[in-house]
Amino acid sequence: MIAPLPILGGANERLLPASVPFRFFAAAAGFQVLAWAMLFWGAPDLPGFAGGTGPVLAALHLLTLGVLVSAAMGAAYQLLPVATRSPIRHVSLAKASFWLLLLGVGLLTLGMAGSDARLIWPGAVLVALALALFAGLTAQNLWRAHGLPMVVAHGWTALVALVLVVLLALLLIVDEQTGFWPDHAGLARLHMVMAVFGFMGILLAGFSLILVPMFALSSGSAPMLGRGQLGLGGLALVLATAAAFWQRPGLWPLASALGAAAAAVYLWHMRLILQGAMRRRLGLSFVMIRAAWAMLALSLVLGVGLSFGLEFPGGAALFGVLVLPGWLLTFLGGVLQRIVPFLASMHVQAVSGAPALLSDLTPSRPLLVYAVGHFSALALLGSGVIFSNTLLVRVGALAGFLGALAFVLFLSLVLSKLPRRG
Amino acid sequence: MDRTPPPPGKDWRDAAGILHIDVRGLGPPLPMVAILARLEQWTESGPIIVHHEREPIYLYPELASRGWVHCRIPGEPGEVRLKLTRHAP
Repeated sequence: MIAPLPILGGANERLLPASVPFRFFAAAAGFQVLAWAMLFWGAPDLPGFAGGTGPVLAALHLLTLGVLVSAAMGAAYQLLPVATRSPIRHVSLAKASFWLLLLGVGLLTLGMAGSDARLIWPGAVLVALALALFAGLTAQNLWRAHGLPMVVAHGWTALVALVLVVLLALLLIVDEQTGFWPDHAGLARLHMVMAVFGFMGILLAGFSLILVPMFALSSGSAPMLGRGQLGLGGLALVLATAAAFWQRPGLWPLASALGAAAAAVYLWHMRLILQGAMRRRLGLSFVMIRAAWAMLALSLVLGVGLSFGLEFPGGAALFGVLVLPGWLLTFLGGVLQRIVPFLASMHVQAVSGAPALLSDLTPSRPLLVYAVGHFSALALLGSGVIFSNTLLVRVGALAGFLGALAFVLFLSLVLSKLPRRG
Repeated sequence: MDRTPPPPGKDWRDAAGILHIDVRGLGPPLPMVAILARLEQWTESGPIIVHHEREPIYLYPELASRGWVHCRIPGEPGEVRLKLTRHAP
């Protein structure tokens, strides 16, 4: 017979109340809908987008802060304590970070959409506070971690990048109003690189070392490749920082080449892990994860080309499409559709004593609609940017919006099966 | 040719012929991989004993989806010992 609740013992301390991770996932799902809606509005600006406030910048931050960071926070709060065997000690602070992020992203993106500094400033401060709480709690957890040195090393590097992202964001807002920094574009580029590749990219690479082998049931991880991806990625970020702060544009191509090398090592590592997988039929989630990896590779080829001065239709905007909705959002969509039923099953067990079957907690139709909407959106956005066609961008945003609604339905169906607790 | 590496961890049979799997000392997710790899090859009807050093909460949904149930049984200090049996149809 399945043992009841007391057997969870120490693990139960590491299993946060369901409301903590799921509130972040619910926010991520909601912000995904808003991000596509905002892009629909700002569609005419996307093909030539090169920075500056407006709906495209707002959509960008709804996607990065609202979707990616929100989901990363929820996943980190729940997964890291289990992996590192060190519980989150201040659950109330984790909850506080959620409300600060929610309110902050709302104000910040409204301010960006309407170019209103009276909203941007308080929004940015609230987001910075949310991220500071997250960084503090995660640092505390990593500090007490037992084992998993490569995951912990990725975690520390991502946290350093996160601190830099926040400082750069505040600098950018000040510079927008005062113009004290001689190279605003370089600073904005470093902020983007540090956020996308430094914080999100390295966090994702670290999580991949646990999640991909866990989902695929593989023991094929290679520590040397883990060190390689982190070392090369870290060096690329240091060079990018030097390029922006010391205004040495000549360092950008080298930084992007090193970043591409780090990604190549990461992708090779993932390939090795999947080669040793016991589970061969990995389902829709891995269709999305593999597509995300393909878009990471494409984005880096394009990024290196652009940094060496090559011209390509769509240029920087296409790079942004490949990296953000292409790589990061697609990867997140693939991972979340595995994590969400998994965590729900564990919470059902914590209350009822028996885990729910994962198949009962994975409504497949909404996920299929989500994937179709998402991939259609990517194809249309990419084409719209390459051909400077607003209609294609707008239809793409609409497809993404419908897909995101299907993801909200998926999450709602899973949440409806959770026991009322926490 | 099967290129899948052998599952991590140790295994042995006791005097009663029961299979034991020891995954202590392995970092996540190797304990889960070690246990599920052996379960997939297990054609007998008897139970399996798992020697773990932590509560494998991520394992339980995977066990349930494969028709296995678990219960905690007494083990050494610092050990989490589980008895896995197939769910009666």
